[in-house]
Amino acid sequence: MSTISLSGVGVRVVVDSHPEPKVLLQNVTLSLSERRIGVIGANGSGKSTLLRLLNGLVAPSEGSVTVNGSDTVRHVRAVRQQVGFVFTDPLSQLVMPTGREDVELSLRRSVRNGAERRARADAALARFGLLPLGDQSIYELSGGERQLLALAAVLAVEPDVLVLDEPSTLLDLRNRELLRGTIAGLRQQIIMSTHDLELALDMDRVLVVEAGRIVFDGGAAAAVAHYRSLCAAGLEIPRGAGADGGDAR
Amino acid sequence: MRGHGFLLANYAPGESLIHRAPLWLKFMVVVSCGMASFLIVDWRLAAAALALMCTLFLLSGAGPARLVRAVRPLLPVLLAIGAFQWWQLGAPVAARIVLNVLLCVVAASLLTATTPLQRLLDGVVSLARPFTRFGADPERFALTIAIMLRSIPFIAGAYADVRDSARARGLERNPRALVLPVFITTVAYARHTGEALAARGLGEPEDSRPGDG
Repeated sequence: MSTISLSGVGVRVVVDSHPEPKVLLQNVTLSLSERRIGVIGANGSGKSTLLRLLNGLVAPSEGSVTVNGSDTVRHVRAVRQQVGFVFTDPLSQLVMPTGREDVELSLRRSVRNGAERRARADAALARFGLLPLGDQSIYELSGGERQLLALAAVLAVEPDVLVLDEPSTLLDLRNRELLRGTIAGLRQQIIMSTHDLELALDMDRVLVVEAGRIVFDGGAAAAVAHYRSLCAAGLEIPRGAGADGGDAR
Repeated sequence: MRGHGFLLANYAPGESLIHRAPLWLKFMVVVSCGMASFLIVDWRLAAAALALMCTLFLLSGAGPARLVRAVRPLLPVLLAIGAFQWWQLGAPVAARIVLNVLLCVVAASLLTATTPLQRLLDGVVSLARPFTRFGADPERFALTIAIMLRSIPFIAGAYADVRDSARARGLERNPRALVLPVFITTVAYARHTGEALAARGLGEPEDSRPGDG
């Protein structure tokens, strides 16, 4: 398994209408090496920012993030070869008109030979049962097929880590179960944010994020229970968060 | 967001002679048609060339529907150009100009309908390779063209969506209600596309190899 380390990470952005920078994440120190890691929390809590740090899509304002020792700012290319990223909305991610073309686009940097690239793209599509749909417009695919296609396009380059930002949010129950089964069968280390607490319960370790802080870090069942208690308390962060079973790292 | 075809036909998988023809040959046909639009002065010759190109398109198996979809968005513009030229220079010149533009569009559509996009990009990379000595990155060049081809139908789709929502609110005659949301959607799309490419490590300079820095 890969090891991702966040050391004293904070993320701030300047917003035009505010005199002070807005704090998206603060003082996050983590070491992520488990096979399945979930991130849960309310909308706007900082989950997506946390995930984007891992692929170098967001640079920390303070502290550092490393993936197997490669800094996400200084060695961004090396980091992105190791960490694949799946967005919530696959249409934001699929940039080519058809599935086969999109998967081939992912492979352009690593496979120069056109015939080999096409064969590898077909293999990636076949793995997810998408080969018959490879030449269809991405707009003609269902939401579930698009999400699987986005997954196929990312996994075609064989990253070691797969980061998924709320991958089931736009899916119906059937497609959600399909995605859940697919994710469970992957060899990659998975780090996934989700509002789907059932999906979160499949994880080995779950982080609860609230107001830009990790307020709980521990086993899935305890983390989900903690998140439920937060919601029940009107999302007020209890004092000494992380003390009831998990570690506030 | 709905998907839209725009001007050039999407790739239609097939095994026709045209599909299997080398890329350089198909590219030369497109270039020749572009040159012909300057050289052909008789509208009947332009009509014959267009008929030949349409026949080739249909022989490729890409289908008449794809051909119509490729040409249809252009018709209002061609109608306006044709009417103006007829008024200014007479019917034969107007017919020649309109037919020559159609010839170029059908020739380009024949290329895109019978060549997978990735093969087209490989061709662009080969063409751009001599410029590497001046610091150009052929892969980035090809990626830029691919993104441009992908963005045109997206913007057309965004316009159609915005027009429908403006209609639903009775604002179809308000230009601000049409232009501003399309502009904002397009900027958001550009940001999302950039982020999606960055997440996949595409479009980054070749020199930032793993371990650099």
